[in-house]
Amino acid sequence: MVMPDHNIYAGLTVAVAAGRLGRGWLGGALARVHQAWSGTKAGEQGGMIIRYSVLPGFGLTLGLTLSWLGLIVLLPLAGLVIHAADLGWSGFLAEVGTARVLAAFRISLTTALAAALINLVFGLLVAWVLVRYRFVGQKLVDALVDLPFALPTAVAGIALSALYSANGWIGSILVPLGINVAFTPLGIVVALTFIGLPFVVRTVEPVLQELPPEEEEAAISLGASRLQTFLRVILPALTPALLTGFALAFARGLGEYGSVIFIAGNMPEISEIVPLLIIIKLEQFDYHGATAIGTLMLLLSFVLLLLINLLQAWMRARHAH
Amino acid sequence: MTIRISGICKRFGSFVALDRVDLEVRAGELLALLGPSGSGKTTLLRILGGLERPDQGSLTFFGEAALSLTPRDRQVGFVFQHYSLFRHMTVFDNVAFGLDVQSRKDRRSRLAITEKVRELLRMVQLEPLADRYPSQLSGGQRQLVSLARALAIEPRVLLLDEPFGALDAKVRKELRRWLRRLHDDMHITSVFVTHDQEEALELADRVVVMNRGRIEQVGVPSQVYNDPASPFVYDFLGNVNRFDCTIDAGVARIVGVDQAFPAVGMAAGPAVAFFRPHDIELTRLEAPAKGTAVSAELLRAQVRHVYAIGPTARVELDLAGHMVEVVMDQDRLRGLGVDGGDWCGIKLGRGRLFRAGMVAAMADPR
Repeated sequence: MVMPDHNIYAGLTVAVAAGRLGRGWLGGALARVHQAWSGTKAGEQGGMIIRYSVLPGFGLTLGLTLSWLGLIVLLPLAGLVIHAADLGWSGFLAEVGTARVLAAFRISLTTALAAALINLVFGLLVAWVLVRYRFVGQKLVDALVDLPFALPTAVAGIALSALYSANGWIGSILVPLGINVAFTPLGIVVALTFIGLPFVVRTVEPVLQELPPEEEEAAISLGASRLQTFLRVILPALTPALLTGFALAFARGLGEYGSVIFIAGNMPEISEIVPLLIIIKLEQFDYHGATAIGTLMLLLSFVLLLLINLLQAWMRARHAH
Repeated sequence: MTIRISGICKRFGSFVALDRVDLEVRAGELLALLGPSGSGKTTLLRILGGLERPDQGSLTFFGEAALSLTPRDRQVGFVFQHYSLFRHMTVFDNVAFGLDVQSRKDRRSRLAITEKVRELLRMVQLEPLADRYPSQLSGGQRQLVSLARALAIEPRVLLLDEPFGALDAKVRKELRRWLRRLHDDMHITSVFVTHDQEEALELADRVVVMNRGRIEQVGVPSQVYNDPASPFVYDFLGNVNRFDCTIDAGVARIVGVDQAFPAVGMAAGPAVAFFRPHDIELTRLEAPAKGTAVSAELLRAQVRHVYAIGPTARVELDLAGHMVEVVMDQDRLRGLGVDGGDWCGIKLGRGRLFRAGMVAAMADPR
């Protein structure tokens, strides 16, 4: 009975790794590495130069950083890839090429993207209100924003499905109108929107706070309308932060499991997300199938996050301070 | 008259920023709003630019009521103390901004905008830097871009909020000269805010001295300097010796000093007298005498300290407990040969006496 136990352990590691991947663990780490890299480049005449610093220890800290990242991030992921490699190319393609898996990927990507886009718009709005105005109960609203971080996601999922089901508070209004949220892909979007809200708000807030009001006044006195001022002066200054928030929310949405399974209905090829599919494979002791899907998820997420980070670096280089 | 301001009031909470301010700005003049921080000068400028709304009062631009006009319709160019350039735009795009955002029917062709921006950048001698971002420029260059940006919309009035305040002394002087030349060439009605009296006196056609939300005096630089209308103006414009006085029977006496100045027609009571350091004459006394009066005109004072750096020297003296500052040529000081501890005779010279709204010139003591 040693082998199955060991395998379950490996499988769990895989699942956790797949989840973590989506949650922006890797994304955040990469973003930081990337920032450090582009920062050095922008600050120097070119090339990577280790500059003199009052705090010594570049070698030690870099060594620690790499060991830590290796242990926490790369090791589990390597395990995942190695396990999946047992399948060979044809086996791998056979595992991920089924209609059910492809549909799950389509659903996961589109819902996470939709939720991240919704959060982009409304997160900016919330950040704007919190930074630009002073009102009664502001601290309360501020605390509410962080709640999706703190709440166990399963609780959120159950609460949302209760709200949106046919006899729930909101569902009882929407269902007669022909809008079914619970147990549809729309429900997934709602859950992911809830989960991803804090990311955009908290990344945009500090940047907005430091945006000097004189720049807007300058635009107004030069004859710009409010819309022009927003689109041409405020938005460009916020874009890097918005992109970061978007990337984090998107990555979180890709890996989210707890809240989605309660509201999605989990019908194969309609509302079944990738993390769930991995769990199902694990429950059927299909470890190779699970790792194959996990590996593809890893690859996709990595490419997407890398693209977003490259876009950010490009923008930073353009507006370098 | 270009701009007419009447009865403008503005409060921020319980703080009165502007208290019934009346002012007229003449066409083509370069007007300085001078005052310490908190005097309301920047608030007044922001009201002119439409960035702030007054609580009361009226404002006309070229005979037209302006308070209801948006900043856009006022056609003012505003230059901020900290440049406020758009960080994500190149120098070129910054200057072009005001032309780019014009409504479709007023907007020039792309070619005409490029030509205009190039012309402005040539004027501020920054054409080679057109593709740089503001972060790649020095403070002085940024402020020049900011000026070019404000001038691009061909404003009827140019408003500058402490335009040189954030720059170091040398650049400040250069830009000051540059602005004066620009104004002489273009004759655009301009109002600038400053807390630097030297800048205001050197640059402006007329100076408005403000204090605690009120205008203390308006006049050409020589007028406000030589003929200050209030103790505040005297104090604020350059170094000054201030003495507490008492007036009795048409005669003013500096407390503790045996000398009487005529104060004809002024009511009895406490007053203040001001003397500029360079109006006071210093002579050497050989033997220390008793009392403060050496003769009818000469007062006895002891040298505390001599600061002799640069072409002008500063001597600090003690006159019966009052600190007196005297400024003179370095050569003259050397001729006198006084040093700390020596006794000197001082002649206060031209001064001014203020008593609760009344002003009198102080010339010869009696």
